[in-house]
Amino acid sequence: MAPGLDLIFLLELAIIGLLAGGLLSLIALGFVLIYKGTGVVNFAMGEFMMLGAYFFYTANVMWGWPVMLALPAALAAVGVAAAVVERSVLRPLAGQPVISILMATIGLASVGHGLVEAVWGGENYEMPQLLPRKPFLIGELLIPGQAVWSFLLAATLIAALTLYFRFSRTGIAMRAAASDPITAVALGIDVRHTQRLTWIFAGLVGAVAGIVAAATTSLSPALGGVALGVLAVIILGGLDSIAGAIVAGLIVGVISSLTAGTLGGKVRDIVPYVAVLAILLIRPYGLFGTRQIERL
Amino acid sequence: MNNDILNNPARRRIVNAGLGSAALSSLPLTSAIAQTGEIVVGAAPPITGVFAFAGVGLHQGLGDYCEWRNQAKKGVAGRRLRYVGEDSAYKMDQAMSVFKKIMSAHNPPVFYGDSTAWAKAAAREVSQLGTTIVSSPSFSSDLADPKNVPYYFMAGPTYAAMGEILLEYINRTSRGTTRPSVALVYSDTEFGRDPIAAIKVKAQALGIPVPLEIVTRPGAVDVSSEVAKMRRVRPDFVIFHGYVLAPIPEFIRQMREAGLSATPMGTIWSMDKTTVDAMGAAGQGWMGVMPYRYSYDVKDAPALREMRDFAAKARPQMSYIPLFYTHGWLVGMIFAEIMERTLKAGKPLTGPNMKVALESIDNWDTGGITGLLASLKGHQIASGRIYQYDATSKLFEPASGWIKTA
Amino acid sequence: MRIGDFRETYAQDEALWPTVTQRAWMLALLAALAVLPFFASGYVVGLACILGIHVIAAAGLNIMTGCTGLISLGHAGFMGVGCYTAAWLAQRGVPFYVTIPAAGAMAALLGALVGTPSLRIKGLYLAVATLATQFILVYVFREWDSVTGGVRGVNVPNASLFGFELDDDHRMYYLIAALAVLMLIAGRNLFRTRVGRAFIAIRDKDISAEVLGIDLFRYKLYAFAIGSFYAGVAGALLGYFYRAMTPEYFTLQLSIFYLAAIIVGGLGTMLGAVLGAVFMTLVPEVLRALVSFIAQWAPNATVVLSPVQQIVFGLLIIGFLIYEPHGLRELWQRMRRLFHLWPFRA
Repeated sequence: MAPGLDLIFLLELAIIGLLAGGLLSLIALGFVLIYKGTGVVNFAMGEFMMLGAYFFYTANVMWGWPVMLALPAALAAVGVAAAVVERSVLRPLAGQPVISILMATIGLASVGHGLVEAVWGGENYEMPQLLPRKPFLIGELLIPGQAVWSFLLAATLIAALTLYFRFSRTGIAMRAAASDPITAVALGIDVRHTQRLTWIFAGLVGAVAGIVAAATTSLSPALGGVALGVLAVIILGGLDSIAGAIVAGLIVGVISSLTAGTLGGKVRDIVPYVAVLAILLIRPYGLFGTRQIERL
Repeated sequence: MNNDILNNPARRRIVNAGLGSAALSSLPLTSAIAQTGEIVVGAAPPITGVFAFAGVGLHQGLGDYCEWRNQAKKGVAGRRLRYVGEDSAYKMDQAMSVFKKIMSAHNPPVFYGDSTAWAKAAAREVSQLGTTIVSSPSFSSDLADPKNVPYYFMAGPTYAAMGEILLEYINRTSRGTTRPSVALVYSDTEFGRDPIAAIKVKAQALGIPVPLEIVTRPGAVDVSSEVAKMRRVRPDFVIFHGYVLAPIPEFIRQMREAGLSATPMGTIWSMDKTTVDAMGAAGQGWMGVMPYRYSYDVKDAPALREMRDFAAKARPQMSYIPLFYTHGWLVGMIFAEIMERTLKAGKPLTGPNMKVALESIDNWDTGGITGLLASLKGHQIASGRIYQYDATSKLFEPASGWIKTA
Repeated sequence: MRIGDFRETYAQDEALWPTVTQRAWMLALLAALAVLPFFASGYVVGLACILGIHVIAAAGLNIMTGCTGLISLGHAGFMGVGCYTAAWLAQRGVPFYVTIPAAGAMAALLGALVGTPSLRIKGLYLAVATLATQFILVYVFREWDSVTGGVRGVNVPNASLFGFELDDDHRMYYLIAALAVLMLIAGRNLFRTRVGRAFIAIRDKDISAEVLGIDLFRYKLYAFAIGSFYAGVAGALLGYFYRAMTPEYFTLQLSIFYLAAIIVGGLGTMLGAVLGAVFMTLVPEVLRALVSFIAQWAPNATVVLSPVQQIVFGLLIIGFLIYEPHGLRELWQRMRRLFHLWPFRA
């Protein structure tokens, strides 16, 4: 049933997977940002993605705004939503045990999902074409256009964010607050402000990822489920490592694509989770994560 | 305070068991359906949830048929029909809960559910109760089984039969010496996997090669790797099954960009006009098997015309009648026919009697909703027609005559 | 007003229901449970059966997560294991009083297996590991056709006791209620034993527990095993109740439902599990009734039922976490204190 497994085919699959991995890396970055900044694994990342995509759809398709206007508007709306969430849900729960915050983000995910379905309904919508679709023909390899452009977009965004965190004042402040809040406060950094900013950034990243993901597949409330698959990526890369998120995203993308192409689509969804279990047994903190040392 | 006897959990358990077994013997097993007065038609359609767009149509179609029947034919054998339908949200717990609620409150002789999972659980329940005939939007082959699932019927062919109709069409229209090849793309759900084995068997019987089978998660997925696989195989036809819309449009678009000119085909639930309209340009040439006429195809279909007229008066804001509504209407028609035949034969409305009536429906004129005369002997209506979608006129046109399967 | 709480023997101190009043109320509750099917409609009895199943599963999760601190997002998967084990055995003629414990045992075994990484990983990482387990288990349910029937699902023959068939809801109700009472009492009793106390020590700070001589690995495995046992039994009962089951029932959403139930009910106690499971099961039913009621005036209201259920679900979780972290149980205790200390305030 499967076509002959020639090297060219595998190479094509690997490249497609690598490009798809760019989007996974972007979403993973969103997760890692929040974890580094506030110590929370945000199960509601999928909902940020959905909100971004749906806001964009509303502005661009339903209200007819041009893309240049709809895109920033959608991102701004998600940023506001992220700030509201941080203030109303995460702030009161600061310092609570892990399970409480975990469940809080799960609750948020449920609320977000319900809101999206209540306002926009459960049907599939077709997103307007945002990225050029023309495929790239490299010898025998046919690479879909959207994959290439979404990868480039993700890469640009990740690079921009990395530079921002490295060189800008606010970025450094955020990193300082993330690594040692007490010292940061002592040095005059407003930690609450940086935490809010962290959430806003993660929300924006999620929104962009959501818009791109919806453009490559379709817009429906099922979009939120994509984020669950990214959990495998962040575990592989390490919950608090940005480099890990990027590398792991690409790795998972390639593995997913190769398994889908060779073993069949059913296995594709399971492979990341099997990989997660394997990683957790061998290197519990992921490829690049920092080892947590517990003290009495 | 000393230890009371009843502080002992073991003792407490014995008391509980004693109370329980004393009570068990006196409970009635079944309760009788009212044999006079109104007939309740129960339903738990998925009005909200993942299949909401289908569930709303089913709910309205079935309910409206009951209304129409009361107006046009004074109900069934002089007894008015009352439709009691409550949302199941496509969740098993809720669907069963609604089912039990309506059963205990009204004891309807007929009931319409929401999914294959529900249908299987309910089928077990009603075979034990012996009081009700059930149907649902599921066309799973497991359920068209008069022996093991005696009180279930489906208002159309099984998914396997639909696949066979598609293959028959491919077979009949193939020209030249090389046999056309067919790729199967289906979702990893019961809905998706149900007909695949039968389709492969039929393909083998017809000498049609199936070089590629692609399984995906239902809903929005990244299909680039799958299309890469397909590019190497270059099938002539691609049968999609187990999806309602996504990821079919993206699949088709990428197929075209990869230079594949295969004809995409689907089965009943992806043949709704509004769903395919949403595909846009990718929908051009979309073909599939439909067991019913479309609601705009009223030329030889008096029943469809009556349905349209009723819907126009009762629901003026509904601009297009989806296939889900037609399905609900047909289910109502079959329910009514079963009950009428039972009552006209002078028998009370019980499961076994209604089963006999159901299986007696042969060469039955559905007024044009199904193209051929319908037979429900096998608890399914095994016929359908191939329609092709035209993206400019946004209509489905018939591409074949009505095909009957075994 | 209750003045003082005098316990004169160790037995009294350790008793599950120390005072006569408490025992009397428990008896009354059991009596009410026993006679419920006589007065309630088929719908209520069916609902009670599902409640019983959810209570058992929530109790198991509360032992694992609430008392031992091991977050599990895979509880639904273990229910599925129990359900399919019971179905497979029942199809081969094994009676229910063997299949149900066997289902629990199978789930417990698998739970212990899944818990082995807990030696090295904890907290969020463990949660994600259980999430991975959930997906893998569902995958196995769908693919292992010969045992689980794959996506077609299984049919479960009726439970029968020496030829007396439990073939309708009323009879299943007694089985489920009896098992629920049994397992709740067992769970409550667990915390009078060394094992239970070890669990609580592990939850509070596992390094300190280890210093005190508690073998972390062994007790964490016990916690996984016991919690999964409860899930397995609940799954088996589910199979007998619905008589047909497909893998699509045991989703991540169900695991999240149980976590939400124990959070809302109150982490760490059996009463919390009961209150939480009952509350979270009844809320969608009440919402549905409400929406049907409103639909008389606004026929399109039914369209938003499912999203509204989700929103309410999420808001309940968040609301309880922020405003009442100890859950419904805390509200219950406060009410009791109100009555005990009246006319003084708490």
